[in-house]
Amino acid sequence: MNFDFTEAEQAFADEVRRFLRANPPETFAVDGMDAGYGSGANSRAFLKALAAQGWISMCWPTTLGGREQPMFMKLVLMEELALAGAPFGPLAGVWQTADAVIELGTERLRREVLPAIARGEATFWQGYSEPDAGSDLLALKTEARRDGDHYVIRGHKIWSSHAGIASHGLVFARTSREARRSRGFSMFVVANGTPGMDIRPIRSMTGEVYHHEVFLDDVRVSADLMLGPPGEGFQALLNGLDADRFWGRFYKAPALARVLGQLVDYANTTLVGGAPLARDPFVRRRLAAIAADIAALRLIFYRAGCLIRDGAPLTYETAMAKVYADETGQKLARLGMDLLGLWGPLREGSRWAKLGGQISHLYQTTLGHTIAGGTAEVLRTTVAVRGLGLAAEPKIAVDSKAR
Amino acid sequence: MDFRLSPSQQILTTTARAFLRQHCPPELVQRLALDTRGFDEALWRRMAELGWPGLLIPAELGGSDGSLLDVIVLVEEMGRAGLPGPFVASAVVATSLVLAAASPAQQKRLLPALAAGERIASLALVEESGSFDPAAVALECAVPGRLSGRKLFVKDAHIADDLIVAVRVGAAPALIVVPTDRSGIARLPLDAISGEKLFEVTFDRVEIRPDDLLGAVGDGDALLAPALRAGALARTAEMVGGAQRVLELAVEHAKTRVQGGRPIGGYQAIQHSCADLVRDVDAARALLYVAAWKAAEGRPAEADAALAKAYAGEACLTVARRGHQIFGAISYCEEHPLHLLHKHIQAASLDFGDAQLHLETVARVIGLEGRS
Repeated sequence: MNFDFTEAEQAFADEVRRFLRANPPETFAVDGMDAGYGSGANSRAFLKALAAQGWISMCWPTTLGGREQPMFMKLVLMEELALAGAPFGPLAGVWQTADAVIELGTERLRREVLPAIARGEATFWQGYSEPDAGSDLLALKTEARRDGDHYVIRGHKIWSSHAGIASHGLVFARTSREARRSRGFSMFVVANGTPGMDIRPIRSMTGEVYHHEVFLDDVRVSADLMLGPPGEGFQALLNGLDADRFWGRFYKAPALARVLGQLVDYANTTLVGGAPLARDPFVRRRLAAIAADIAALRLIFYRAGCLIRDGAPLTYETAMAKVYADETGQKLARLGMDLLGLWGPLREGSRWAKLGGQISHLYQTTLGHTIAGGTAEVLRTTVAVRGLGLAAEPKIAVDSKAR
Repeated sequence: MDFRLSPSQQILTTTARAFLRQHCPPELVQRLALDTRGFDEALWRRMAELGWPGLLIPAELGGSDGSLLDVIVLVEEMGRAGLPGPFVASAVVATSLVLAAASPAQQKRLLPALAAGERIASLALVEESGSFDPAAVALECAVPGRLSGRKLFVKDAHIADDLIVAVRVGAAPALIVVPTDRSGIARLPLDAISGEKLFEVTFDRVEIRPDDLLGAVGDGDALLAPALRAGALARTAEMVGGAQRVLELAVEHAKTRVQGGRPIGGYQAIQHSCADLVRDVDAARALLYVAAWKAAEGRPAEADAALAKAYAGEACLTVARRGHQIFGAISYCEEHPLHLLHKHIQAASLDFGDAQLHLETVARVIGLEGRS
């Protein structure tokens, strides 16, 4: 056992902190809503600043412009960025796409997409869910029909985060009818603005736009923009979702630790009945208990990170970690609302808003986290079936006419 | 960063698991819980032959030169087996105090015997306040002089050869070590549901000699802090091991118990409950290992130990309670292993500070201003 960073990791953490002091996160222009996951708002300017440091591509092979840094450096970077509240929204998704392109991409994808990613210019929306395909992704109806050296995509995607401000979509579509329901799917990297693509915003309960629905009306895509082997997209997608659970939630613990620190300051400086809120034993205990949750959450993610680094097999770890991250976020937001009382629901910018109105925002955004990227229910089933070896529930066919 | 056990720790846990499976089966745990004395001397001797009671003690004093982290991974296995007995009280807490505070003469007298399992020692700290906070100690004693008063919740006092008693000399905190056969000491059993052997110890004009003093007068609290931390970590390890066993038993049951034509583990209600058991055990273990590693490395570990003990107390007890629900009626039976694992966790969650005490430490560490 050893719970220290290596010297190189520690030196990199110091370097990131110096960068953040020289480039205060709040000075960067923001383009898209902070969805509360812990990676802050979507900021093209900040992503470009990270790119200028060479940090986006630091783990890639040197032949592709990287510096072959160990994967743990990404964890160090994300932790420091989250602790500082930096707006690095799309970073984890960008890394995952880059990894998939490096592993599975065609020559063209490597040539065109990777440099744009390294420059901080490319971000991606996920075109997976559809109106009738949520937790059951295999029910999706979007089809990509082969036409010479192109595919023609037709369908309707929904819940695609920041699709309106991204550069490309990762569109998951059926490319052939196979006997096995999970075969015959492929993934395409489709540039925004491709003719036939209509991206429409969905206003969320926070009052802002985060999700979009995307109508694909005979969108022609060159066959060399397919990511991965044709018809084998579903396994790649599952692997991607597995990785998403780790990379898309790793920064939650440090981000929640930051919010906890703000709540502690609030409790120390807010008088209730003449005494600081911090002296209320019940408040003390709730804040301390969630500090323990956040500490445990951080370790659960680092443990999974070690398994990934060491190439050890993972079964339940990322599914469990995601559920824990999302439920801890909800718990902290709820606690924040309780502490703030009448002031809790005030929005950012409102008169009398406390802590910048961010707790009411967190309270709303965290509601979506146990739904997005695999619901807490689906993932608990994953832990039980894949991790513990319990038998999957039998599927019950539904007669659509009988409904 | 590395969460894995070292090769020697792996050998230690593998050996311990095999040994305890053979020598500490659930039937023995059951029998010792129901027995008034509840101490298996043959088992204790075998453990001593493996060098376990001497794990924290240097080789030149008869020990096996292990670290606190080694002790923690061993105690986790003991918790998994539900092993009763004085290991934590004697080989972890009392031994830590003797190592930290005893004079060379006291060390020579006590440590080789403790290492060999020939003497058993236990800490008498808690009084009627029910607090593990050393500041709550009120029992007064002059050294030399006579000691009169009582201590509560003294573990395994009936088989202890020595008691380390936290006292006040004037206003100053101090520790004394007294053999239990000294005149005026009475040990009165408490009857706890866990089957752990807890005692009220009364002192009636017990003679206290100058060389009974352990460390200097005034150092009592400073000496107690690391030993109480070791105790809290060891009890946390017991909880984690116990909860791990509950998880294994519950999953095994969910796979084999058939209702409505399929194993109950095929129902999502049970699956989701089992998934939460995994999270509770994994998270508690991770906090435990970090705290024990820091303590073993000699780094500040107060906050980490408090986090681990508070978290595990809640999480492991939740595992035990959920375990009963997964097992259903059968786990309500005395002969079923679950209730003793549960009660063992319950007892451990209170020993060396309950969640409330440790959360107060956490509250201070995260920066909440003090209570007035």
